[in-house]
Amino acid sequence: MEKVKLNKLPVPTFGRSGVNYTEREINSFEAENLTVENNDSKKLIQYIDTTRTFETRLTVGSGAKARLVQIFHNSGQTVSRLDAVLEDNAKLELIQLYLGDDTVSEINTRLKGENSEFSADIAYSLDKNDTLDINMIAEHYGRKSSSQINVSGVLNDSAAKTFKGTIDFKHGAVGAKGSEQEEALLLSEKVHNRTVPVILCAEEDVQGSHGANIGRIDEKLIFYMQSRGMSEESIYRLLARSKLERIIRSIEDDDTEKRIYNTLEWEYEQ
Amino acid sequence: MKEKTQLNDIDRSIYDFRYDEDKEDFLDSGITPDIIKEISQEKNDPQWMREFRLSSLEIYKKTPMVKWGPSIDGLDVNNIVTYIRPKSRMNTEWDNVPDNIKETFEKLGIPKAERESLAGVGAQYDSELVYHNVRKEVAQSGVVYTDLESAMHDPLYADIIRSHFMKLVPPTDHKFAALHGAVWSGGSFVYVPKGVHLDIPLQSYFRLNAKGAGQFEHTLIILEEDSSLHFIEGCSAPKYYEAGLHAGCVELFVGKNAKLRYSTIENWSKNMFNLNTKRAIVEENGRIEWVSGSFGSHVSYLYPMSILNGRKASAEFTGITFAGEGQNLDTGAKIVHNAPETSSYMNTKSISKSGGISTFRSAVTINEKAEGSRSSVSCESLMLDRISRSDTIPVIDVKTDKCDVGHEAKIGRISDEAVFYLMSRGLDEENAKAMIVRGFADNVSKELPLEYAVEMNNLIGLEMHGSIG
Repeated sequence: MEKVKLNKLPVPTFGRSGVNYTEREINSFEAENLTVENNDSKKLIQYIDTTRTFETRLTVGSGAKARLVQIFHNSGQTVSRLDAVLEDNAKLELIQLYLGDDTVSEINTRLKGENSEFSADIAYSLDKNDTLDINMIAEHYGRKSSSQINVSGVLNDSAAKTFKGTIDFKHGAVGAKGSEQEEALLLSEKVHNRTVPVILCAEEDVQGSHGANIGRIDEKLIFYMQSRGMSEESIYRLLARSKLERIIRSIEDDDTEKRIYNTLEWEYEQ
Repeated sequence: MKEKTQLNDIDRSIYDFRYDEDKEDFLDSGITPDIIKEISQEKNDPQWMREFRLSSLEIYKKTPMVKWGPSIDGLDVNNIVTYIRPKSRMNTEWDNVPDNIKETFEKLGIPKAERESLAGVGAQYDSELVYHNVRKEVAQSGVVYTDLESAMHDPLYADIIRSHFMKLVPPTDHKFAALHGAVWSGGSFVYVPKGVHLDIPLQSYFRLNAKGAGQFEHTLIILEEDSSLHFIEGCSAPKYYEAGLHAGCVELFVGKNAKLRYSTIENWSKNMFNLNTKRAIVEENGRIEWVSGSFGSHVSYLYPMSILNGRKASAEFTGITFAGEGQNLDTGAKIVHNAPETSSYMNTKSISKSGGISTFRSAVTINEKAEGSRSSVSCESLMLDRISRSDTIPVIDVKTDKCDVGHEAKIGRISDEAVFYLMSRGLDEENAKAMIVRGFADNVSKELPLEYAVEMNNLIGLEMHGSIG
């Protein structure tokens, strides 16, 4: 196995920030090609619970809709690459849940077609010495293409997470819109959180925005919930759970949802 | 088709006058130990500085150029003249300054500003300070504002200079910091004693007149406990076809409960490579405020850094960047929270037009010890046409849970709805768009001293003519 540079930031920045790439020892990628034909609709679920190095190449044809759910509950190291291409009026909904150990995940979505739409809903819950490095790149080529990226999660113990999210408006992507939002809840003084929300823009008529909120819960909210009789510990537990639960409920697949609940040792309610 | 907004490039012609230099005053171009020794000889450096320059040169040779940021192709450092002998010694009497230099600064409005609104002025022409003066009452309060070379030889300040010079920005920081350590010349030394508050600003103005030359001034400011200062820095150069280089260095030491505001209007000509390094360290309850306007240069790398080292230290960065034709301006800020309950606020605006590239690049680091710290970053970019480019590359690095960090950024064009709204209130299209662009820059311009805010509004020029079609 050799050490390979992964998750390269599309435009490098200050070397000392340590976010330009990450390195792992890996073998070659196992590749899987998936296609959603024109005007078709498909739901795909990948549950990763072993050590893997794999690449998913997904093409979403004109007018087609794809919903890809990826659950990373690996023990050991997993390196994942998702390479998606969206044609005219294609729609990709990506749902990702990261539940631990060492994961490197790159998502590169090319919004080639006019009116193509990409949405990503990502949640993570990390503790102990878990590490997670996500490199999300949405490249807008098509006119009026749109992307919406939401990331939220919880870090506990000595967990470390890097989220790099790039919205790249290419020349010609007239009328494109892109937004990304991240909320990271930090629950231990030993956690390490890095957020790099990048917007690259070579087109005038576009709208791009990103926002990030990192840290602890608003004191007013804690005070309110305490005044309703909850302890601080249970408030944090509840809010941490709510971040995951929102994503899990959106999977809309009972078997997968049950499996995640079992893993998290939560009680499953229909 | 949607309407287009045309903004004219900044009118720089007022800066483009120049005088011929006497070539005999130029040291040979390039960077060799002999040139460095010659600079030391010319400047009568103390022994430690002679050694410092030579060791910096070694670091320069070994250090590679950074692998990110705009290309600096076109800059041949070996062809840059690093030192130009001054025509006159430093003066404290304006009348003794040589006529052509005097005329230059008169045209730039510096003596007028000194008379009307400044506590002291320093003027650098090419490699050396030509004029430095402070008001009598300011000097009597114990404030020192002089050139670094004189201070280095003054027994009162020699040790202070030695213990602070390039300690915040060591020559190992990056390649051009090492170059600066080897060839620096000119710049200012400011010392504000404990408890002294300067109500009116000090200003240094840097003018690079010579062709194919570099300017490497060093600004060292030390604020003792409970003091305050507003320092203004202005830069300009006439346009040449040969590349010029500005690799200055600013080191600011802000003591306990002290407050420093550092304002810069950078308006180098479009043949300049502006590779400048600025850094401040702030002690307990101290505050640094940066106000930064970047309008000139061909290529800029500029990220003033604030290190918040004492409890409740705070930093504020307000910046505007305007990148026009042929410009690649990579600007932003770095903030390091090293102590509990520190706070920072960054607010930047950038405008790109006529193929100009503007990049906002930042790094906010909350270290393990910075419990209870808060940071907020807001950056907005305006694209004025389809051939320009605007990138936003922020890094947020958090190593403790007890903090509150927020970040928001927006990019886009002038909103049709806003134009429509203003037009429905009776404005014509051109005025509506002009008003929106001025409003976009407003929160930065209102932080500038009045005469600079007026200059900025004139600079942005904003001769706008909407065209439909």
